[in-house]
Amino acid sequence: MTIMKKYIIIILGLGLTLSLGNCEFENDVDPNQPSLSAVLANTSPQELNLLVGGLEARSRDAMGAFITATGSIARELYDFNASDPTTTETLIGKDGATLNGSEPQLTGTMFARYQAVKSAEFILEAVENVALTEAQKQGFRGVANTFKGLNLMNVLSLLNNNGVRVDVKDPENLGPYLSKAEGFQAIRGFLDLGFDQLQGAEFTFQLSGGFTGFDTPAEFAGFNRAIAARVALYEEDYASALSLVNSSFMDMNGELADGPKKSYGVGGTEILNPIFKSPQQSGDQYVVHNRLITDIQAGDARINKFRLRDDPVPRDGLNGTHEIDLYASSTSPIDFIRNEELILIFAEASVQVGNLSDAVDALNVIRNAYGLANYGGAVTEDALIDELLYNRGYSLWAEGHAMFDLRRYDRLNDQFLPIDRTGDIIHTEFPIPPFEQ
Amino acid sequence: MGQNFNVDGTVTSAISGEPLVGVNVVIKGTTSGTVTNLDGTFSLAVPGNTTLVFSSVGFLVQEMAVTANSGTLNVAMQEDIADLEEIVVTGLATSIKRSNLANSVSTINAQTLTGTTTGATLDGALYGKLTGVNINAAGGAPGGQTAMRLRGVSSLSGNNQPLFIIDGVYISNIQLTNGSSVASGANAGREEGGSNRVSDINPDDIESIEVLKGASAAAIYGTRANAGVVIITTKRGTQGKTKVSFNQDVGFNTIQNYAGRRVFTPETVESAFSAAEREIFETAQAAGEVFNYEEELYGEKGLILDSRLSVSGGSDRTTFYANISRRDEDGIMKRTGYDRTSLRINVDHNITDDLKIGFSSNYINSNADRGAVGNENNGGFSVGYNLALLTVDWENLFPDENGVYPDGRFAATNVIFNRDIIDNSEEVNRYIQGVRIDWTALQRDNIQLKFLANGGLDFFLGKTFVYIPETQQTQRSTTNGFISAGNNNSLQYNYQVFAVVDYFANNEISLNGQFGVSYLNFESDAIINQTTQLIPTQTNLAQGNSFSTNQRLTDEEELGFIAQGQFNWADRVIATAGIRFDKSSLNGDPNKYFAFPKASLAVNLANFDFWTATSVSLLKLRFAYGETGSSARFGSLYTPLGATSVGGVPGLALPRVDQNNVRAQLGDTDLEPETSQEIEYGVDVAFLNGRVGLELTGYVRKVNDLIYPFSSIPISSGFNNSIRTDFDLKNTGFEIAINAQPIAKPNLNWNTSLNYWQNDAKVDRLGVGEFQPSGEGFSLTFGSSFIREGENATALAANIGGQVKIIGDAAPDFQMSWYNEVTIIKRLKLNFLFHWKEGGEVLNLTKLLSDFGGVTPDLDDPDVIANPRFATFGAEGYIEDGSYIRLREVGLYYDLPIGNLKAFEGIRVGVSGKNVFTSTDYTGYDPETSAFGPSGLSQGIEVSPFPSSKQFYFHLGLTF
Repeated sequence: MTIMKKYIIIILGLGLTLSLGNCEFENDVDPNQPSLSAVLANTSPQELNLLVGGLEARSRDAMGAFITATGSIARELYDFNASDPTTTETLIGKDGATLNGSEPQLTGTMFARYQAVKSAEFILEAVENVALTEAQKQGFRGVANTFKGLNLMNVLSLLNNNGVRVDVKDPENLGPYLSKAEGFQAIRGFLDLGFDQLQGAEFTFQLSGGFTGFDTPAEFAGFNRAIAARVALYEEDYASALSLVNSSFMDMNGELADGPKKSYGVGGTEILNPIFKSPQQSGDQYVVHNRLITDIQAGDARINKFRLRDDPVPRDGLNGTHEIDLYASSTSPIDFIRNEELILIFAEASVQVGNLSDAVDALNVIRNAYGLANYGGAVTEDALIDELLYNRGYSLWAEGHAMFDLRRYDRLNDQFLPIDRTGDIIHTEFPIPPFEQ
Repeated sequence: MGQNFNVDGTVTSAISGEPLVGVNVVIKGTTSGTVTNLDGTFSLAVPGNTTLVFSSVGFLVQEMAVTANSGTLNVAMQEDIADLEEIVVTGLATSIKRSNLANSVSTINAQTLTGTTTGATLDGALYGKLTGVNINAAGGAPGGQTAMRLRGVSSLSGNNQPLFIIDGVYISNIQLTNGSSVASGANAGREEGGSNRVSDINPDDIESIEVLKGASAAAIYGTRANAGVVIITTKRGTQGKTKVSFNQDVGFNTIQNYAGRRVFTPETVESAFSAAEREIFETAQAAGEVFNYEEELYGEKGLILDSRLSVSGGSDRTTFYANISRRDEDGIMKRTGYDRTSLRINVDHNITDDLKIGFSSNYINSNADRGAVGNENNGGFSVGYNLALLTVDWENLFPDENGVYPDGRFAATNVIFNRDIIDNSEEVNRYIQGVRIDWTALQRDNIQLKFLANGGLDFFLGKTFVYIPETQQTQRSTTNGFISAGNNNSLQYNYQVFAVVDYFANNEISLNGQFGVSYLNFESDAIINQTTQLIPTQTNLAQGNSFSTNQRLTDEEELGFIAQGQFNWADRVIATAGIRFDKSSLNGDPNKYFAFPKASLAVNLANFDFWTATSVSLLKLRFAYGETGSSARFGSLYTPLGATSVGGVPGLALPRVDQNNVRAQLGDTDLEPETSQEIEYGVDVAFLNGRVGLELTGYVRKVNDLIYPFSSIPISSGFNNSIRTDFDLKNTGFEIAINAQPIAKPNLNWNTSLNYWQNDAKVDRLGVGEFQPSGEGFSLTFGSSFIREGENATALAANIGGQVKIIGDAAPDFQMSWYNEVTIIKRLKLNFLFHWKEGGEVLNLTKLLSDFGGVTPDLDDPDVIANPRFATFGAEGYIEDGSYIRLREVGLYYDLPIGNLKAFEGIRVGVSGKNVFTSTDYTGYDPETSAFGPSGLSQGIEVSPFPSSKQFYFHLGLTF
């Protein structure tokens, strides 16, 4: 090759090489999913509706963790878990083990609840800038604030005297942990705000089939008051609980099962009902604590929530004759709150404010529904509390209430609950997980 | 007064007397010369009295002065035991003699890599043969899954594996995710037990491997090189008679070590379980139905067949090397195994004397059946997990005469069913093509200008298939069958163009400069389809009632400009300086360039005139500094939202854990690469005429602004992790390598190498004080890797009584290896490699599971009963010392005397073994273990892995 040709080739090559320096790289779009900043910056009405769908989804997540935690501590059940060996250890306080805040049942529940609260915050932020009428915006706000209160209540119940964090808008600058009293005040504030916003609001989004009968602003407001009644009850503000439950969808003559539900299903990003367990399987099962079998009154149809085990193998020194039979299948819904609970709230609040005969009437509605005769015991506050707790214990079994009911009446201890293995202790609340503050 | 005259001569080997082909004969101080031909003879025209330099791979360089009266030159070349003349790659386009190298670059040749025994994977074949290398296997499943770490910790965000380059092609080393974590509930793709892609490479194709262990050597590779670079060169043809060789190995796999099962009596069954259980036990005992399920699962002897045929040869213009290999290996568990077929052809052709072109083409097909393994959280999937936690030896899990499997009584599954019926397989079809063009544009007496362009592509299609039938125990109550079929499409291509200038100022001083540009483009598209609610007996994705699709796309591009210069004064002082500017689409600003400089100095005292001790042929002091980078993992810039659906109503929310392989991450749009700076210093000595070589190296390797997903952010933020960069770490270490030839007689030859290396990785700065790296452990109740300022980055910690306490350190105190080749009467060869790893704790969570399950063998010990491990110590009770001494490879070979047999040039038979013997106090399956697969920290935590195996082989090798 001649020198000329060589030089030409060299120069062409260099030119080509240097021109590479001008190619621009781009990376601002995530090819795999929408990004938060893009959605919040310029939210379309359709995206806002999707955020509501996300809020409902996160509000029904992590039920398994919550039921395992509360049910084990309150000695309603044991979780013979397929892979986590600590459900029969730390939750049951084996050999005096205390809770340290890293339990996956606590952290799993808290994480799902706070993701739901974040969804509510996204809606409250995005709704300001979307092209909707004020009534339509109020619809979004009312729903967001209702779910916000509902989800935060779950967390406060678990942490109890350790308080709760309610301001999570800025992930780099989270609000402080409030005291228990301040927490209750804030939560009731969100629920009341939501209720006010629902007055005269308009819904332009769709909730799942679990909200059939509760998907208009007026009906949803009834759900809001029901949740508020539960919160007031947990706060032991019985007068408010009574007036709130009377503004809710409670109906003494209605179906006990009425109420909005958490939906489960198959396919795509649906999830299955985690409390449903395959019958006669000891490897992954909720085993009923034997005290529920021994203490149930003859003829009480709520015994049908328990199924006799064919091969009752023990786990870690614990055993039970029965297993859970609460849900029919892995796609059965779980109630957010139903009429039955509202009637029980009415009964409890009535006892506490002194309306004892109202309480007896309400308790009889429940008793009769399950094949028991009318209440025939003493009509005193103490006797009625016992009757009330009996009914709450069976009506709301394995639904995440017993731990808080027993705690409210100072019965979450070894005076009232049996100790199954020497050395076991009964916990009353979870500590704040590490790294929260 | 010089007159041109011709010099003729022959070059032979000093040891054997055989003529040497292809020896370079160069007029010193110039670029002119020739090469010896098939008889070892050469003829060169020289312009007057001068010195000729003779050089060839594996031999010490010789210089001979010639005059017109020298006559025929006969040159005998000495073997280069201390590898002084070995050529090592420094820049991307240039190479340098090892004796002039300012870095400690470890090289492995084909003989050391596979000469003792065979194995399935390339990275497995490296362990114990190089200083500064730590290899952890995530389990012993056939097809391998190893994490290779050079000089400690380089990164947390997945770029901890070195860069692998084969014949100039940047190849992928990812681990395929197969979606089984959706069924098992395990935490991430990394816990599913998939193999990493470097295991596709056929070790038999490899001529040499160079490992650049830190930034001072790897700086020239820029923004991908924080964790080091492994440069692989495959075999090329040589001119001459065509050589055909065929090798056949027949062997078997067997488990290295059982964890053991507790032997029960009726009394102990009653106290551990219940009186009712005791009756069940006694009935089983009477019927002879108390089994040992660990031996049942892992007790197979898997057959291994490995066949390799290679052909190489060529003329003076074209050379080629071709290789067909197939390996077929059965695992120690039924229905597991691995096979790989590799076809390679390498062709080099001189288009003209100045223009050379070379092609490297490789097609690989590999299939792995890995068994139902890995961690799990709810699925009844993993055999090992359920065996430890929820299976007792007196259940009868075998199928009845109708082939129906009973349910596990304690577990959510029957582990024998899982072994016999669940499918978990990978198939990879891969094609790697490299092209290289060398053009000597200008060659004058003292200056040479070359252009080098190389490039290539690495394409693979990885298919994964996980099938759990609807009849499986857990599936019946959850999703009624599970199929996860994945297609992972990956294309990586890269090219480089360099200009290289060599300038000889005079007889003693030479300068070399290289300038170039390098471009990389990596794209992948991984689609995983999952179908549940299956139609009975169907295994096709369409035959179900519930469908879910995940797709993950990645797209990365990088562009770099490189300049490097080298100054060489008579091989006495060699100084190098260079810089690379890189930009990457993985950084927040994809068009911002980052600079990675390097500088090094080597002083060969033995080459100075004042050096008179002839027995010390090399005394080199060296010092090197370099910087490299590592960009964030793809996706770290974004804050994703995930799709939801409730009763058919769609939504968007922060993702649940690992939905579509993403976590709820608070991304950082301003990310810049993490950078590493390394200072390396050392001394190399060769004495006793090159019979002993000693290399001492010390280094300080800092990694700054490490990008890490910080998952100890408050749960109440709703995010799993944010992306932070306020993390600096420092690796300090020391390496010693001794090579010697203690005996070099005709009938007894003994080469030995002794390696020692240690590394300490300290967390210098951590803005958040401490955190648990995500994906490196479970809840702190069980123990996890943990990063705390001021502690080692390899610490293991657990929540003990509400405080996070450091309970161990996964990094070893030091490692040593001893490799020997003994040749007796030239026909019998014995090779063996011992490896000693001292220190390095392992958190044996398999034992925690078997404790909870009541089946750990020592639970009847009065000591253990008095102090129950978990209750007394928590996770701390499961920290064990992972020190071991292992006979990693041993082989005995015999070259049969073939006499006048014309058909063969050589017949060799042999026996060998891999990991044949381990001495350790560790009670688990294998102290070299990790639950988390090849990326991240990948160390020190065992959770019911697929047990490691040892292998024994018989070999037959034929050369034609």
